[in-house]
Amino acid sequence: MYLNQLMIYGFGKFHDRTFDLTTGLNVVVGPNEAGKSTLTQFITAVLFGFPTKKHPELRYEPLDGSRFGGEITFTQKQTRYLVTRTDGPHGGTVTLRDLTNALTLPSASLPHLLEPVDEALFTSTYVMNEPRLGTVFSASKQELIDRLRHVGAIGSDFWLNQAQTLGKQADELYKPQGRNPILNQQLQEHQELTAKLAKAKAAYGTYWDFLRQQETQRQQQGVLQQKLDQQRQITAQLERQAASWPTFVQWQQLAQRQPLTTTGFTRKDATELERLTSRTTAMAASLKADQNKLQRLQQGAKVTPLFTQYLAATTQVDPLFEQLTTVKAANETCNQLRANQRDYQQRATAIEQQYASTGQMPRPFSLATHQQVKRLQKKLMAANQKRRQLQQELNRLNEDYRQAQPTRRQHSNPLADKQLGWLAAGLVILIGAMFLPGTIFKLIGALCGVAIGYYGVFIVDGETPASRQLQDLTESIRDIQAQLREGGQQEDALTNQLEAVGDSYGLGQIPVEQWSAAQTAIGEWEHLTQQLQQTAEQLTAQTQTISDFQIAIDQALPELQHQPLTNVLQQLAGLQVMRQALGSQQTELTTVADDLQRTQHTLRQTQQAEETFLRTRNLTTVDDFYRYYQQIREQDNQLAQQQALASQLGVTMRTALQQYATQAELIGVVQQAQHQQQALQGQLDTLTTSLATLAGQLDQLTASGTQAVLQQKLANLEARMTATAQTWLANNLTRQWIAATLAAASGDRLPQIVTQASEFYGKLTENRYTEIELTPNTLRVRLATGEWREVSQLSRGTAEQLDLAVKLAFAVIMNQRVGMPLVIDDGLVNFDEHRRQAAYALLAEIGKTVQVIFLTADVTVNAIAGNLIRLTD
Amino acid sequence: MKFIHAADLHLDSPFLGLTTLPSSLLATVRQSTFAAATRIFDRALAEHVDFVVLAGDLFDRSEQSVAAQAFLFQQFQRLDDAQIPVLISFGNHDYAADQRQAVAYPTNVTTFGPKVGTKTLTLVSGETVSVSGFSYPERWVTTDPMADFPDHAQTDWHIGLLHGAVATGSVDHYAPFTIDELLAKRYDYWALGHIHHRQLLNEQPPILYAGNPQGRSINETGTKGAYLVTNQQGKLVPEFFETGVVDWETPIVQLTATTLSELSEQVATWLADHPATKPTLTAMTVELGTALVESISTDWLSLFQKTHQRQMKASQRFVIRLDVTAPAVTLVAPQLDQVYWDQGATTVFTTANEEQLFGKLAQNPALAAWFEQPATRARLQVLAEQNLRQVMGEVGHDVS
Repeated sequence: MYLNQLMIYGFGKFHDRTFDLTTGLNVVVGPNEAGKSTLTQFITAVLFGFPTKKHPELRYEPLDGSRFGGEITFTQKQTRYLVTRTDGPHGGTVTLRDLTNALTLPSASLPHLLEPVDEALFTSTYVMNEPRLGTVFSASKQELIDRLRHVGAIGSDFWLNQAQTLGKQADELYKPQGRNPILNQQLQEHQELTAKLAKAKAAYGTYWDFLRQQETQRQQQGVLQQKLDQQRQITAQLERQAASWPTFVQWQQLAQRQPLTTTGFTRKDATELERLTSRTTAMAASLKADQNKLQRLQQGAKVTPLFTQYLAATTQVDPLFEQLTTVKAANETCNQLRANQRDYQQRATAIEQQYASTGQMPRPFSLATHQQVKRLQKKLMAANQKRRQLQQELNRLNEDYRQAQPTRRQHSNPLADKQLGWLAAGLVILIGAMFLPGTIFKLIGALCGVAIGYYGVFIVDGETPASRQLQDLTESIRDIQAQLREGGQQEDALTNQLEAVGDSYGLGQIPVEQWSAAQTAIGEWEHLTQQLQQTAEQLTAQTQTISDFQIAIDQALPELQHQPLTNVLQQLAGLQVMRQALGSQQTELTTVADDLQRTQHTLRQTQQAEETFLRTRNLTTVDDFYRYYQQIREQDNQLAQQQALASQLGVTMRTALQQYATQAELIGVVQQAQHQQQALQGQLDTLTTSLATLAGQLDQLTASGTQAVLQQKLANLEARMTATAQTWLANNLTRQWIAATLAAASGDRLPQIVTQASEFYGKLTENRYTEIELTPNTLRVRLATGEWREVSQLSRGTAEQLDLAVKLAFAVIMNQRVGMPLVIDDGLVNFDEHRRQAAYALLAEIGKTVQVIFLTADVTVNAIAGNLIRLTD
Repeated sequence: MKFIHAADLHLDSPFLGLTTLPSSLLATVRQSTFAAATRIFDRALAEHVDFVVLAGDLFDRSEQSVAAQAFLFQQFQRLDDAQIPVLISFGNHDYAADQRQAVAYPTNVTTFGPKVGTKTLTLVSGETVSVSGFSYPERWVTTDPMADFPDHAQTDWHIGLLHGAVATGSVDHYAPFTIDELLAKRYDYWALGHIHHRQLLNEQPPILYAGNPQGRSINETGTKGAYLVTNQQGKLVPEFFETGVVDWETPIVQLTATTLSELSEQVATWLADHPATKPTLTAMTVELGTALVESISTDWLSLFQKTHQRQMKASQRFVIRLDVTAPAVTLVAPQLDQVYWDQGATTVFTTANEEQLFGKLAQNPALAAWFEQPATRARLQVLAEQNLRQVMGEVGHDVS
């Protein structure tokens, strides 16, 4: 790009001034204050805009009040453009025309046409003046790179543009601090959705709680249902029971009836009785008829009343006729027996009077006792005889002793006294022994006494020979006396034995001598007693016979009642005779009597049968039977009714109902059961309602789907977010990539620029310096001697030459990409003459490729070739 | 002897990676995990199987879905009514740590505890079956559980129930095991869960992942279902049956479009020519012979979705993503050397730079998780390249 013409309407000191420029080097010469800087500022201002009114010193508004602004004609890519800028908002009013194609372009196209050069780049790189030349020294490599990147690569404006677009797109998607970009909104939505979801998830806990409640309540429901079913059954059963109560009561009443004898009162029995009674009645009627008939006949036949009676009871009386003789005999025998009886009685009474003084007859001896008594009597007699003999002997001896006694009296012998003492003792003992009970003791006692006596008489007495004779006598006496005593004792024993026998047989009152006679009498008495008994028995038998007969007669013939037997017998005999007499005649009477007899017989039989019938049923009358019969029939009916009721009730029901005393109690129980059932039903209803509510709540929770919807929404949002973030990241990365690539590409041009700058710098410094090198922070230069110098070590002029060299090199190298005129405003003031000339030469050389507008106050500049414009003109 | 082996029901978990979805499909998608699981239980009832084994991840604990729990109660009750036992070993998504589940499943359900346990069943046929398994006590089980599994029991059959992944040797969080270890137990069948893509690790005895019954993201393509395992001559033979309600497909389509309108038409034509048998979420990759003259804006797809609802419904294919690839053009900028692009790439596509750029977005867990995926950053570079290509296209266009 190069500038063709500058037309100033009014700018600083200029107004209505036109400058024509060439493509190469244009030198604008003018003294100070001629407007060189104003011209530089005009170019910048028209191309890039007027500075704002905040900086009026930079605006160069015309001092004479002419129209502010101007126009520049420039050629870009073989096309001529005219840009006009006049005073206006936002850097001035711009018009742009494509002169080549005669098109008016929108003013906005201007920056695009100038791309990538903007005001900053233009002023920093393409516009050089003295103060600006110094700024390069503060430039770091990065700054340079930045500047290079800006314009450093071919097409970088496009790439930068793209990067910018991408950046904008990315910013529309997301800004870390933003609110409105899509992703920011999505993030916001995500947050909200997550919160909503968390809220929805709270239902999860509720759900489990509900579920647990449901389970618990279901269990309760099951239990309650079961209970209710049971209760229902119970209630129903009780209600049935209550309904059955009247039946039960009826049944109970029937059951309480006392059962009657039930045998023998059947219908058959009734029929039998009917038959019997009707027959009896028939027979009775028949009998009556017969009797009437007989009476009529009897009146005709003149029969005794007795016979008439007989005729009525012939069957009874006839057998009695056969007994007549027997009875007669019996009567006689009776009389005989009574006579005997009296005789025996008399005799027995005599004997009793004799022997049974105590009122009791002694008993007869047995044969052994009889002999024993005889033997004892014999022995007693012998003992009496012997005693008498011994008594006689003793008497004799006593006489002898009395004779011998006097001698003995002279010699009073102490021993004799002694003898007497012994004897006395013996006697005492002997006599004492008699008092002893029992024969044996008496005997022993007697023997003792005898022994003692004997000792006294014989042992003591024998001491004295003088009394030997006496002693012998005494001894004899004593011997006899002993014998006597012995005999006495024997007698006593025998007597005792006899007494014992007598006592045991009741003969205690009778002397022993009479015992024999008594025995005989006793035997006779016993015989009599027996006979009396026999007689009494016979008498009883006979009497019985007679009385039986009499009773029979009395029954058959009442007329003969209370008459003596003999009389009766005579009457009967008369009857017998009369019967025989009548029986021989074949009369109507007999026939009637026979009939009557038969009828009577039959009647009796039937009556008996009827009686038997009633007796077996423990009844007396027929009416009783019918009453009973009726009762039993009724009872049977009731029984049947009871059974019907029982089967209607059933065993279980009866057992159940028996538990209740009254209907009221049962009804109470029923009501209680009903209440309980209602209560259970109520509980169940409540629970069922609760369960239904729960189920509803659960359904709502389950079916709401809110959570699922939110979940899916969130997933979708996340997908969208991811997509957005991905695009955003991709865009940003692309943007970064473009920048990095541009940097890389620019970085590649830097060595070219440095090389070019080194060359230019060499020319400007007349080869004092041969090389420029970029360090990370700044530049350094190499002297021809090979030494390295930091920029800070350079003199101001040399430094400015370095900056010029770099800038020229940049412009030249970048010209491939960006064609922009170099505007050098008195940039060479600090150059010495040689270097200035070198610089001129260099500018002239550069002017061949790049438009250079060189503004200078140096009038010697005429020497350099190029379009020379004198501001003074 | 007949049972069903299923795993990874992931009830009521959302479909991932969907930006928009027509409301008609939304309900189907929302119900899909339930519908697929229901098909499994329907089959169990129809076949009168002896039992059902579920190898983990029945639901996502993090979702805390009432619907999922309610569904399980209902379905288990169905099986209970048919007297079909259910054996469950919980996995990393439905791990047992959460004691929230206060109400037990019906009595036919056996859930294994954190320690390996064995349940013995006596089948109607009189056969006896042991099933050994365990449930994850927490999100990760990093140790090999094989040592705790008993050897083949004294029963007619022994089945292992395991939610886990084959050990890789590095970071194993999911009950790492080796196939040899499983074989060493001499079980008749290993019912595996965790990997959503069904696969047979061993022929006989079968060691097998049932896969999930319903695909839930773009990565879970293909027919999804469960296995009906039957005794055939003393061997347990698994037979796959399909349960998926909504399919995911990632077709690669060659088209010749050069403009967006052509692309739109051709995609619509392709949809008409390739109808699906069931609702299919289709993530298309369109390969073009030449690059499009226009660039595809981000909302082009949503525009397409809006304008082609009828066509998509007719073919039962819902285009959820459309990636267009054109022949690889070397990145030669008209004025810039490839070398500079490469140099630029090395400075830009670094973890540090990307993370710095990602910046605050990392605070969002969903985005952070996405960003951490290894594929993400590669994808970003590809997208950047596409951006550049697009830019260059514009350059070319401008130039021409």
